[in-house]
Amino acid sequence: MKKLYLHPLPIRIWHWINALSFLILIFTGLQIRYRDVIKITSFKTAVDIHNICGFLMIFNFFIWLIYYLFSGKIKIYFPAFSIKGFVGGCIRQARYYGYGIFVGEENPHHSTPDNKFNPMQQIAYLNIMALFIPLQIVTGILLWDLKGFAYWIGLAGGLKVVDSVHVFLFLFFSAFLFVHVYLATLGHTAGEHIKAMFTGFEEVPEQGHSH
Amino acid sequence: MFRFYGGQVVNKGTYWNLSNGEGISAERGMVLPGDRTVKYLKVPTAGIFLLGPLSGLLFICLLPLMSLLMVLTLMSRSASASEALKSDEAAMCMGCHATQGVEKTFRNKDKLSMQISESHFKDSVHGSLTCTSCHSSVSMDNHPSAQYASRKAFAAQVSIACKQCHSDEQLMAKPMHRQAITRSNAPPCSDCHGSHAIRKTTRWKEAASNAQYCLTCHKKDLSISLNGETLSLSIDETILRKSVHSRHECSQCHDEYSKKNHPLKSFKNKRELSIALSGVCSGCHTEKYKQHLGSMHTSLLMEGNRNAPVCTDCHGAHAVGPKAIAETLSGTPCRKCHESTFQAYKSSVHGHAKMNGKTSAPICSSCHSAHQISPALASRSPKATCLGCHKEAAALHKEWLPNAEMHLEAVACTACHVPDVERQVYLRVTDNSSGANIYKAKLKEFLGTGYDTLTLTGENGIEGPQLWDVYQRLGDKKSAAGLTASVGLQNCNDSHKLAPKAMAVKQCDGCHDANSKFFKTVSMAIIAPNGHEEHFKVNRAVLGSVMTLLPINQFYVLGSTRVRLLDILGIVMVFGGMSVPLVHMAMRILTIPIREAKRMNKLRKEGRK
Repeated sequence: MKKLYLHPLPIRIWHWINALSFLILIFTGLQIRYRDVIKITSFKTAVDIHNICGFLMIFNFFIWLIYYLFSGKIKIYFPAFSIKGFVGGCIRQARYYGYGIFVGEENPHHSTPDNKFNPMQQIAYLNIMALFIPLQIVTGILLWDLKGFAYWIGLAGGLKVVDSVHVFLFLFFSAFLFVHVYLATLGHTAGEHIKAMFTGFEEVPEQGHSH
Repeated sequence: MFRFYGGQVVNKGTYWNLSNGEGISAERGMVLPGDRTVKYLKVPTAGIFLLGPLSGLLFICLLPLMSLLMVLTLMSRSASASEALKSDEAAMCMGCHATQGVEKTFRNKDKLSMQISESHFKDSVHGSLTCTSCHSSVSMDNHPSAQYASRKAFAAQVSIACKQCHSDEQLMAKPMHRQAITRSNAPPCSDCHGSHAIRKTTRWKEAASNAQYCLTCHKKDLSISLNGETLSLSIDETILRKSVHSRHECSQCHDEYSKKNHPLKSFKNKRELSIALSGVCSGCHTEKYKQHLGSMHTSLLMEGNRNAPVCTDCHGAHAVGPKAIAETLSGTPCRKCHESTFQAYKSSVHGHAKMNGKTSAPICSSCHSAHQISPALASRSPKATCLGCHKEAAALHKEWLPNAEMHLEAVACTACHVPDVERQVYLRVTDNSSGANIYKAKLKEFLGTGYDTLTLTGENGIEGPQLWDVYQRLGDKKSAAGLTASVGLQNCNDSHKLAPKAMAVKQCDGCHDANSKFFKTVSMAIIAPNGHEEHFKVNRAVLGSVMTLLPINQFYVLGSTRVRLLDILGIVMVFGGMSVPLVHMAMRILTIPIREAKRMNKLRKEGRK
């Protein structure tokens, strides 16, 4: 077994703030949208907390962005430039999750600090971090001050369109959360990846497994 | 031959200066004094001796004749009047009728003074007549004591005498007389002309003001019948003088009528007369009249509602009061037709403020305007009215209400400030830049046949595809108009029941909940030419339909009008997200034997090595 320093401190802080704010945003989002189904807080409280956590998440997003941009590690999110290599990597990884993992095959991807994500993770997280989160941030800000951003809302197709995009992403993130947490348990041991997200170090076999 | 001028050389003789009457005895060759303008007359001495007696004789002969003619000419009137009154007959009549307190009592207990003023009669146009000329049934031998039912009956009987001299033909020549005397209830002559002090009208007419002239008759109990309706033509002068038009002459408004003209007009009924006459106000109040023409009252009138108010319905005809009166609780004219609304207003926070003496508190015209009367739309279209006075309202709402400005645009003030009334959603077609409502005619122009498709609704009301069609047609026509929605009150009358601020709805949960009843009813509101809104039922489901994502893109209530398709997608995604780990985990458990076998094989292989 060897110890790899996979998650530097700023990333660990960003991750857990992000996790907390995501959970609160999802909960308050449910309180705002589905009050007829679940009613725990008042509408006003839910909106106020949602707004606060929204800005916290925006601030946090920039911690992530600045860290990765200035450290140059942003490249871990970018798949291989070779289409063939990227598609092949994806197929290999999908085969592992869909077949190899059941028959005891080794994970084709071995995480290192410079190559943390497998090709499927790369494409998923790149979309999330470069497209979905920014889109969620922008739509959230537009909805936060409807009058102030009326012009931009108009350009985007109107309040209903902006809100629909925001809600769609909210539902996507809610669904993704289950997959994300489950995949986090697929390390060398069930708690290995999660422990690493607290300590920064992940214990991996000399030719160990990783998702 | 007898005329000479100043500066002329003359012969001997006596020359008379015609300017100053001086005589000059001139010698032969003398020059007469003065210039040529001074005239002289040379009278031969013998001529004076002849002319003198001749003139004297003529004067003596003509003097009595001239005196007689002068007496006859100058004194004829007074002589005949005094003669009449001083006749035995008149003396006998005046013996009683000059006395104060002579009265006649009619059967209806009315009394009439029988005292005759000699001087008034002498000055009248009938001054030359004797008493019996008119009162023909009375003579020195006979004074019948006839009983009359009333003063009017007596006047009617006496008026018959007038016709002895003033023939119907003569009277009919004047249109007013023709109208008066051809009526079944024609007033007796004395009603207008008086009885004994009848004067020639010419001089009095000139001296009288226009109003005085008109009121001579119109202050009396006059009325006409318009197809069975009785129209009083009597003007109470005291009311007229107390009005804001107290200094106006009648002809300033009734411009076709003057001292010289009194055309006869006929109207179908009193209402038509009022409508026709209301136009006269525009002469002075041009701006106000223009505003009135743009009001919903005029629209109603144009549509054929003849009861729709005109100027006089609110301001009165002759008793026009000052503006301030119309702004009081007791003086506002609106309540005449809108009593139930007025009572609702009276019970409101505004009505209470007004009753408690707060003069700045709004009254009907404050929100609906005084002349260009229109629906205030406070019940449906937010900000249309209230923020005009409550300028601080936007800032105050911002202190606690997220997206306050958006709320103020999409929620009628009354929806929160009138508690315990029914609310609903209204869809409208409005101008994109100004937000003003697009009227029915314009909307028909924009939508073409689509208007009928929109308004001929099925059982569930207007559906999403119809609104999508409206959206497309408005876009195709480059109308710069679009569909907007707002929350308002179901009954516009309820908007007058505004409650004090403390009672206003402040809980977000009342609206932001899919179970909120405020969004259960949706109507399409189209403003008709008369200013009223026509409502067409809309299927409530359109608020959450994908079809209205673009057509009603500015109305979205968190939690209440959510798009249903997104909910379905959300359920699919979340269950999908949950099932991936579950299925994968299950597969991993089921495949444990495979991995275990593989591990054992591996161990065996390693053991052999």
